[in-house]
Amino acid sequence: MAKKTYDLLFKLLLIGDSGVGKTCILFRFSDNHFTTTFISTIGIDFKIKTVELRGKKIKLQIWDTAGQERFHTITTSYYRGAMGIMLVYDITNEKTFDDIVKWLRNIDEHANEDVEKMILGNKCDMEEKRVVSKERGEALAKSNINIERAFSELAEAILDKTAGREADADAARIAVERRPSRAPPARACCS
Amino acid sequence: MSESENVEKSVEFPETDYVEDGQNKLIIKCKYCTSKILDKKSAKYITQEKDLPLMQQDKNKEGEVQSEKINQFYHVENMYTFENIGFTHTVANHKYLSCADCDAGPVGYYDMDTKHSYVALSRVEHI
Repeated sequence: MAKKTYDLLFKLLLIGDSGVGKTCILFRFSDNHFTTTFISTIGIDFKIKTVELRGKKIKLQIWDTAGQERFHTITTSYYRGAMGIMLVYDITNEKTFDDIVKWLRNIDEHANEDVEKMILGNKCDMEEKRVVSKERGEALAKSNINIERAFSELAEAILDKTAGREADADAARIAVERRPSRAPPARACCS
Repeated sequence: MSESENVEKSVEFPETDYVEDGQNKLIIKCKYCTSKILDKKSAKYITQEKDLPLMQQDKNKEGEVQSEKINQFYHVENMYTFENIGFTHTVANHKYLSCADCDAGPVGYYDMDTKHSYVALSRVEHI
């Protein structure tokens, strides 16, 4: 068996209205007039990213909603095993910010109760078109941080909860395991 | 051109420069944004002929995927071996691999049956 190359594995979800730029959060290898990228045609299912926190090498498996958000409901199967959820709204679109409340309700209904949540106002380099004011956004969400930083913070919050539990050889199992019960501090809000 | 010359030509990346103990000698990064994809010595070097879609597809040839034959790959058995990588939705029992930071790709593919991944040497940067 191959040697273990990491300490922990966290499964994270990206959630928000379609069009908030959950995918354009990251710089895209872009299309042009004459050619289209093969990847953008098919679409990304999930990503694996590696971060180091407190001396631990942590693998993040990050899932996008893959268009399911169009139906405005995401069901239990999608949330299964999720340890952290990043709620994303578009700072240039008021409705996407108002809808965060709906998404939080959806999470309460379907996700594990101790799932770690974080809200992120996405810029996509459109600061001049901002309609959700910083003051309003900041009361609820993390802002002025990029997505990399946000994922690290979300991972750190999960690490606080899971402290002491190491990944074992069967890594896949860790993704669906979690510590039972404990009041969920909605850490992203108002912190 | 003789047969042997042909074979010689298809090995774009000489093993002596890129392979050590049957594994990738160097760190693997994205060609476009230098996001780290694999640590050194974390994947097995293999040769196999596979068609891989081109990164850029001509818009005038809609409905037909343009691809090229690739012979040299790094074989990754466990997807969590990757430092940073993206997986596309499934197409004909494969997922394609892309850069986790800029979405450039495919840099390789993932086989849904074996759950193994294959990274094309020619689609990544070696550092």
